[in-house]
Amino acid sequence: MLSYVLRRIGVSILILIAASLLMYVLVAWARDPLQDLYASSSPNKDNLIAQRIQWLNLDQPVLLRWLNWLGGAVQCVIPGGGCDLGVTITNQPVTILLGRAIGATLQLVTAATVLAIVLGVTIGIVSALRQYSAIDYTFTFASFFLYSLPSFLMGVLLKVFIALGFNDFLADPTITWPWIIALSLISGLFWQAILGGGRNKRLVVFAASLLTTCVMLWGISATHWLLDPSLGPILAPLLIAGVGAGMVVLVAGTHSKTAWRTGAVVAAVVIVLYFVSLPFLRGWGLAGIIGLFVVGIAAGIAAGLLLGQHDKGQAARIGALAAALGVAVIVLDQYMRTWNSYVTNPRINGRPIATVGSATPTLKGDFWIHSTDTFTHLLLPTISLMLISFAGYTRYARGGMLEVLNQDYIRTARAKGLPERTVVVRHAFRNSLIPITTIVAADVGGLIGGAIITERIFAFSGMGALFNSGLQAGDPNPVMAYFIVIAIFAITFNFLADLAYSALDPRVRAK
Amino acid sequence: MSAAHERSEAGGPLLQVNDLSVDFAVDGFWVPAAKKLNYEVQGGKALAIVGESGSGKSASSMAILDLLPSNARIRGSVKLAGRELRGLRPDEMRKVRGADIAVIFQEPMTALNPVYTVGFQIIETLRTHFGITPSAARERALELLEMVELPDPLKAFNSYPHQLSGGQRQRAMIAQSISCDPKLLIADEPTTALDVTVQAEILDLMRDLRHRLNSAILLITHDMGVVADLADDIVVMRQGEIVERGTVAGVFANPTHPYTQQLLGAVPRIGVSDGEKIDTTAGLLADTTAIELAARAAAEDEARRATLGDPVLAFEQVAIEYPKRGRVPAFRAVDDANFAIYPGEVVGLVGESGSGKTTVGRAAIGLIPIAEGTARVVGHDISHANRQLLRKVHKDVGIVFQDPSSSLNPRLPIGQSIGEPMLLSGVAKGRALDARVEELLDAVELPRAYRNRYPHELSGGQKQRVGIARALSLKPKLLIADEPTSALDVSVQATVLELMRRLQAEMGFACLFISHDLAVVDTLSDRIIVMQHGKIVEQGATGQLLRNPQDPYTQRLIAAVPVPDPAEQRLRREARHALLAADKAAEQ
Amino acid sequence: MTIPLDPDFEPPAAPASEDDGVAVEKAGAQGISQGRLILRRFLKHKPALISIVLLVLIIGLAVSATGIGSIPGWWKWNYTQLLDPYNNGKPTLSLVPKWLGGEGIMLGEHPFGQNGVGKDYFAMVMRGTMNSAYIMFIIGFIAAFIGVVIGAISGYYRGWVDAVLMRITDVVIVIPVIVLGAVVGVAAGGLGPLFLAVLLGFVAWTGVARLVRAEFLSLREREFVEAARVAGASDARIIFKHILPNAMGVVIVATTLLIAAAIILETSLSFLGYGVQSPDVSLGKLISDNEAAFATKPWLFWWPAVFIVVLSLLVNFIGDGLRDAFDPRQKRVRIKKVKELPADLVVGSSIGTRAAVPEGAGRGGGSAVGRRQRPMDGENDENGDNDGSQA
Repeated sequence: MLSYVLRRIGVSILILIAASLLMYVLVAWARDPLQDLYASSSPNKDNLIAQRIQWLNLDQPVLLRWLNWLGGAVQCVIPGGGCDLGVTITNQPVTILLGRAIGATLQLVTAATVLAIVLGVTIGIVSALRQYSAIDYTFTFASFFLYSLPSFLMGVLLKVFIALGFNDFLADPTITWPWIIALSLISGLFWQAILGGGRNKRLVVFAASLLTTCVMLWGISATHWLLDPSLGPILAPLLIAGVGAGMVVLVAGTHSKTAWRTGAVVAAVVIVLYFVSLPFLRGWGLAGIIGLFVVGIAAGIAAGLLLGQHDKGQAARIGALAAALGVAVIVLDQYMRTWNSYVTNPRINGRPIATVGSATPTLKGDFWIHSTDTFTHLLLPTISLMLISFAGYTRYARGGMLEVLNQDYIRTARAKGLPERTVVVRHAFRNSLIPITTIVAADVGGLIGGAIITERIFAFSGMGALFNSGLQAGDPNPVMAYFIVIAIFAITFNFLADLAYSALDPRVRAK
Repeated sequence: MSAAHERSEAGGPLLQVNDLSVDFAVDGFWVPAAKKLNYEVQGGKALAIVGESGSGKSASSMAILDLLPSNARIRGSVKLAGRELRGLRPDEMRKVRGADIAVIFQEPMTALNPVYTVGFQIIETLRTHFGITPSAARERALELLEMVELPDPLKAFNSYPHQLSGGQRQRAMIAQSISCDPKLLIADEPTTALDVTVQAEILDLMRDLRHRLNSAILLITHDMGVVADLADDIVVMRQGEIVERGTVAGVFANPTHPYTQQLLGAVPRIGVSDGEKIDTTAGLLADTTAIELAARAAAEDEARRATLGDPVLAFEQVAIEYPKRGRVPAFRAVDDANFAIYPGEVVGLVGESGSGKTTVGRAAIGLIPIAEGTARVVGHDISHANRQLLRKVHKDVGIVFQDPSSSLNPRLPIGQSIGEPMLLSGVAKGRALDARVEELLDAVELPRAYRNRYPHELSGGQKQRVGIARALSLKPKLLIADEPTSALDVSVQATVLELMRRLQAEMGFACLFISHDLAVVDTLSDRIIVMQHGKIVEQGATGQLLRNPQDPYTQRLIAAVPVPDPAEQRLRREARHALLAADKAAEQ
Repeated sequence: MTIPLDPDFEPPAAPASEDDGVAVEKAGAQGISQGRLILRRFLKHKPALISIVLLVLIIGLAVSATGIGSIPGWWKWNYTQLLDPYNNGKPTLSLVPKWLGGEGIMLGEHPFGQNGVGKDYFAMVMRGTMNSAYIMFIIGFIAAFIGVVIGAISGYYRGWVDAVLMRITDVVIVIPVIVLGAVVGVAAGGLGPLFLAVLLGFVAWTGVARLVRAEFLSLREREFVEAARVAGASDARIIFKHILPNAMGVVIVATTLLIAAAIILETSLSFLGYGVQSPDVSLGKLISDNEAAFATKPWLFWWPAVFIVVLSLLVNFIGDGLRDAFDPRQKRVRIKKVKELPADLVVGSSIGTRAAVPEGAGRGGGSAVGRRQRPMDGENDENGDNDGSQA
């Protein structure tokens, strides 16, 4: 195993070096860094040119310059050595710029990736389970359509419609009746298609979701809820309980008494936590959130182990999941309470959805205000970045799941008398993770590259901006810095993909 | 956990199938797979459903447990101990599956989930039907694994399916199926994917379990020998309909329907060829008459060979290796092989999987290089062959492959496939080539018009005939037949074998006939070579080898081949058990 | 013992079409090749068919309106002329006929309006579409060609050739296509869309190479390749006559999807400023140039957007249709619409071919006896002991 890892790392390093050479030569060939100076009419033009030549070693041949760069870059990986990624066209060390840029981009890309994967895989699997149904066709067509869209188009459309549109809507957040009816109908159709089942069950689900959505939307509209949202002492416990119930059904099905008992107990504990923390949470900030999660999950696992009888593992899982989601509800409620003070903040001025940059400059406020600010700034770029890859993941997940469902061992599982839910979750899903993981993990590396466009549209000063500005000016070092970071990410994720593959598939493990 | 097994009501059959019809929706039409089947299975007895592909035997049996895909339509009635199974609610049906009726599938490698251990999958079955603790389930699972005679139950419990051998996997599958003490076991071609010696062991196991647990067995198979070994009653299906039924003894002795007669006639029997019947069972029991006859056969064979001149194929201490590829180390597939084939001789090469027989075949034609030793083929020394030498060799050696669907280029009309060797060696082209191709098509009994057809328009048997035509196109001195009939139905196999025999008699080529099936090999061969784990364990004249096998492996191999005759099969079984007991005693 | 050959026993001639099982007797000396079968399946795929027609129409419209080289197009303005504003630069395209109360169906002076400096937008969009169309095809074909060559050599010869080629491929894969494209675009920039397309083609081949390599690796183990070797075929003959035609399906589908990706690549690069440069037009550049004008002159944004989306969707539909034609998957079964089999249709499920009237429930067990594949000794087994050794 160790030799395998070492060998992989060795090969990867060689590939990186070769790729960096290719990149460096291409960039040098693409644009001359002295170009803008040649065209300038400044009096000390020659001095400037000479200075730049000296800064960037432009008098040396390309290969030598590359070797210099490589020498500096290698020191970044060796512990203890300094990290020298060269200087920009204006003699600024690249490492400083890179540090700032990486942070911004990572923020953006992480959320998008996680969301894209979770949503994409879930929808793909649901689609596969309900093959050929209306919902399958809808999802398939939707993902097909999204997949065909260029990402910049998506970004610009979001910027123009959602940002402007929502900010305008917020000024007077009433929902007109035609919209309420239309949305309720869609909701009803959606839920009855997802949950499936016989005629009666579907009618019940349809009616129930129709009514619930209708009431919800009317309530939101009538109370201008969106101006000062919160879950309140009735909704929050309900939601916590609902989420708990959902986890029970998902993991254990509807028939297991111990599972229900665990779920109920955990939900009750979290509800108590909610009321207890309500007055203090605003002041506790991040520490409070973490604390709540730790306490909640610990309580959940404990409840599971105590109440689990002969399936403690499953009960503990249910407890942990229900607690985690329940605490998430608490945190969500708190964020909702902060919303009003955020929107009315003088720097925001009633237009919360932002389209420029990653934070509002000179914003004053506590942890909650700032994190809401980050949220509103990341919202659109994340959606934009996520939508395209999400479409791809949906297709892969659907394909992978369908293939698994046709395998012999699924038939064996049914022949053994396992309930359908177990067949799907324990046998089908687990096996479909194998192809999905490999593809997803390999794709993620490329997601970072895709941020170039999104950062340009939303004026993020992240790595994409570094790359863009560098390339425009013919400045090799920032471009190389960008390259080396994404290359390392890509290779790392590929490697992780292989590791995940061998972790998931015992047939591959015997190395 | 060893719940007392409920007997079915005295007097009533355990499983009653009435007017069962299964249709599949294909291209907008209901295409019938099984039409109005009626049969019964008595408690504690074994019913075999026999048929070739397309007979509907599997589809109708899967319909019992409602395990068919969504484009299937099932009509009729299926009653288990008087209770109607058709129309049950899904959750009721789930209780029946695994607990009252369990299934053993054909290919355990794909039928078991590769990502969970064997033990887990057995425990899962137990805990679904009984509300027991994990530790109690684990105990029971280990008990079951012992019951199926796995050498190390604990190791098997913790193993993943791919870590076990084929036979062990099937035992694990059986353990899983019997875990809830089902009343009825549906065994869908349970031994088809196994080697013949392993098959014999699994059949032993199934018979043993049946007596212990008193489960009824519904055995689906195409192999008449397996039927004779295991089943009490038999139902013969053809194209969705039952054409004959009765007890195994009765039907085998006196088949009434022409299809059954044809089927029984087409099954290759070991020791039966060209009117001469060799009593292999007697051979196993070291009968003195058999030994005498064996010696005589050996002498005749020697005499015959002495007149034949130089061998067409001669291997001397040949070793063949698969070279190291990447991280997979070099693998010695064949070691110290010594044998010769003389002109006009048919030599059968028999072995189970991993024996190296295929490797020998491919090395003989130069597709795999020889690592050690000397190999001479049609007068050339190919021990260190290069491309030019092999080109010469290929003019005199032909090869027929196993899988008809992958041995022909799907993009070429079969005329081109047949003509390619002649075209490339410059023997003929243009019109002359077409004429030769048509002659070959005649020889293999295919219509001349088929010249322009594509492989996907032919049946398996027809494709195999094309393969034979291609192999014989250059009038070779040696034909290598690599399992040519293993992928074909029994009846089709019979016709193809007959064709090969006739062509060999007419054209007089020598033939290396590779197969895992001794019965098939023995109908054609003058001599037989037996291989195991890359080594030749025994070789000799057919008459001698079958009557007086010396090597214990050969004896086991012969003993394991089932014959489609229940009475004789019983004798063979006893002989085999005696043999195994003697082997074990010898080891200690 | 001779086994009587019963003519009734051998099943009738297998189905002339591979339409999964329902075999209809077709007398025919002339066989139906797989190519024709695939074509038939493709023609049944309505979205793909419609997409091809639409694609041809749109590209035809664009090319004819703009003109090629010295041959002028039929549209009166070209994309460089600076004109006076007409109708405030708003589009004059009208689709509501007079008898419904509109202005009548007409193109008008400037059907897509005019941009800020007065250029006719229809001409610009048409030119942009034409550029995008031929760039995407060139990228597609060049990349496919390179990919096939590398993949084929790699997959067929294996060994060190494979290792070297795959490492080279890895080096190119490590750099995201858009990054490579941007750099290449900056270098090619002013030299025109043709040059850009060729360079981009040299950058986009890695996906195809991997796919083709995988196909070749698996096809080269097939028995008909061994038979060809025995027949005396040279390496070149095996590659071109035996393996490549069978890998065509993968190649064609991959190329089509590559073309779809190429259009997105080109428009994205142009949006960023690295693709087609002024004065020439690209749909992506039109969008980036007119981003800010969205509030006041939305048509400047919508027309290029629509054309980009339509082109991309159409090519994707075609790719989907091709994929279904080469590798048909199970279609939806509308149980209510299934009819009983009429008595005159001869049904013979052929032995040895994949019947959809399955032997084993749902699995393609129709192939006769279903014996396991002869194991490639040493190939699949970890411990070297194959199935069936003493249990």
